[in-house]
Amino acid sequence: MTSRGLVLDSLEFRSPERVPRQLWTLPWAGLNWPAELAAIRERYPDDIVTCPGFLREPLRTSGLEYEPGIFIDEWGCRFENRQAGIIGQVKVPALRDWAGLDRVRVPTERLTVDLGRVDDFCGRSRAFVLAKTWSRPFELLQFLRGPENLYIDLAERPAGLDRLLEKIHAFYLEEMELWAGTEVDALVFADDWGGQDSLLVSPALWREMFKPLYRDYVGIAHRHGKYAFMHSDGHIAAILPDLVEIGLDALNAQLFTMDIAEIGRRFAGQLTFWGEIDRQRLLPYGTPAEIAAAVRTVRRAVWRRGGAIAQCEFGIGARPENVAAVFEAWDGPA
Amino acid sequence: MLKEMQDALIAGKKAEVEALVDQALAAGRPAGTILNEGLIPGMERLGVQFKNNEVFIPEVLVAARAMNAGLAKLEPHLAMAGVKPRGVVVIGTVKGDLHDIGKNLVAMMLRGNGYKIIDLGVDVAPEKYIEAAKANGAGIIALSALLTTTMVQMKAVIEAVEKAGLAVPVVIGGAPVTRDYADQIRARGYAPDAASAVEEIGRIIAA
Repeated sequence: MTSRGLVLDSLEFRSPERVPRQLWTLPWAGLNWPAELAAIRERYPDDIVTCPGFLREPLRTSGLEYEPGIFIDEWGCRFENRQAGIIGQVKVPALRDWAGLDRVRVPTERLTVDLGRVDDFCGRSRAFVLAKTWSRPFELLQFLRGPENLYIDLAERPAGLDRLLEKIHAFYLEEMELWAGTEVDALVFADDWGGQDSLLVSPALWREMFKPLYRDYVGIAHRHGKYAFMHSDGHIAAILPDLVEIGLDALNAQLFTMDIAEIGRRFAGQLTFWGEIDRQRLLPYGTPAEIAAAVRTVRRAVWRRGGAIAQCEFGIGARPENVAAVFEAWDGPA
Repeated sequence: MLKEMQDALIAGKKAEVEALVDQALAAGRPAGTILNEGLIPGMERLGVQFKNNEVFIPEVLVAARAMNAGLAKLEPHLAMAGVKPRGVVVIGTVKGDLHDIGKNLVAMMLRGNGYKIIDLGVDVAPEKYIEAAKANGAGIIALSALLTTTMVQMKAVIEAVEKAGLAVPVVIGGAPVTRDYADQIRARGYAPDAASAVEEIGRIIAA
């Protein structure tokens, strides 16, 4: 059974031989635990990989994304950072007033994908391949407008907001269509919708304004025979029924901010839980025994002859022995 | 009129709040009454709604903006009447951490609930909190951190406060922070969200 086969079996609830796995890392892990990270990767190789971008034209960015200093991304968003190995935060939004809306530059370089190289990569890979898409309309709005401006926009709904979102969404649709025409297995989109114990915006607003965008992304994936994968941080229980309804195939969410047993009761068997194990508390402060218990909790809640991917993030503060324990526990007996 | 002011505040209607504050002042209502029976109860009601997931960050921010507009109208009158804030809170995101969305939300909610806020911004060194607390006669020092690697700075602030012999309680919050961690580092208070921060600080100041 190939890695790809394992992932497909889990997504289709066909009792894979073992739970497929994927480790996410922040550069922080490599900087602080290089040998340990390498050992984990060797012992627990990923069954899911992300295809390189294979862009013919380089992205117009400046600075280094994960280094202290200023990084300007391809949309012109300016991130400030003080710590190596993590991403910074936008302090001065690119679009402070709507007069600058027409000057927001769409990064068309992202559409210069060498499709032949993508297909070649997919053909050679034994792993399940994710497209190099990370469509994030809500987060991009925050980066462009600044979080506080955006939240006020969401309450007041100025015309510029709709125009900006249309512009962003049109770009993402084009990019998704492009990748959907390749041999990748899944398209990916992401937005952090949750706070620690609730959604950041009202479920009604989310349904009206953002759910249709995600429905479009899932639709593109499915029309091309691909799977739709989504990441969203925070407590997002309020919108899980919506994500199931639009046909999402796999969700990476912070399960430990929510009632995992309840999530299992309501949604197990309807979509695949692409991780995770608590990176706020357990991975940095827990013990391997606590990690094993956490994995058992998730498995009991969501595994129905499939429907789970062993995933966690080796990010800031995480202990390598705990990261290894995640995969050891998923590989172990149920 | 004061009930109407509360409703306008909760709805985030800035111009309406300003107009109602003007009307109330013109009608001879004392500024302290307008604040304590109009604006602050409005923010308190909003805090409860926020905690109950009936309103969310966008609604809180527009309400806070309306509150600030109303307060700006009232402030000269409050100063003349000698009305004091509920307390002075020095707030900031700890050293090494640039994240401030949560901290700003807490500051806005506190300001809206009648506290004077000394916002030190982000990446704040321990001694800055102490200087600001001393200079402003603070009743609370409030610390925010988003990262597991920077929340350890909270302990450094508390130790610096203790070393300086400053009897100002420290309240902490932020995504990775827990009540256990607060107890472990001897923080006097902990709040998991902005509405709880207002309650927690209110409890500590009233104690």
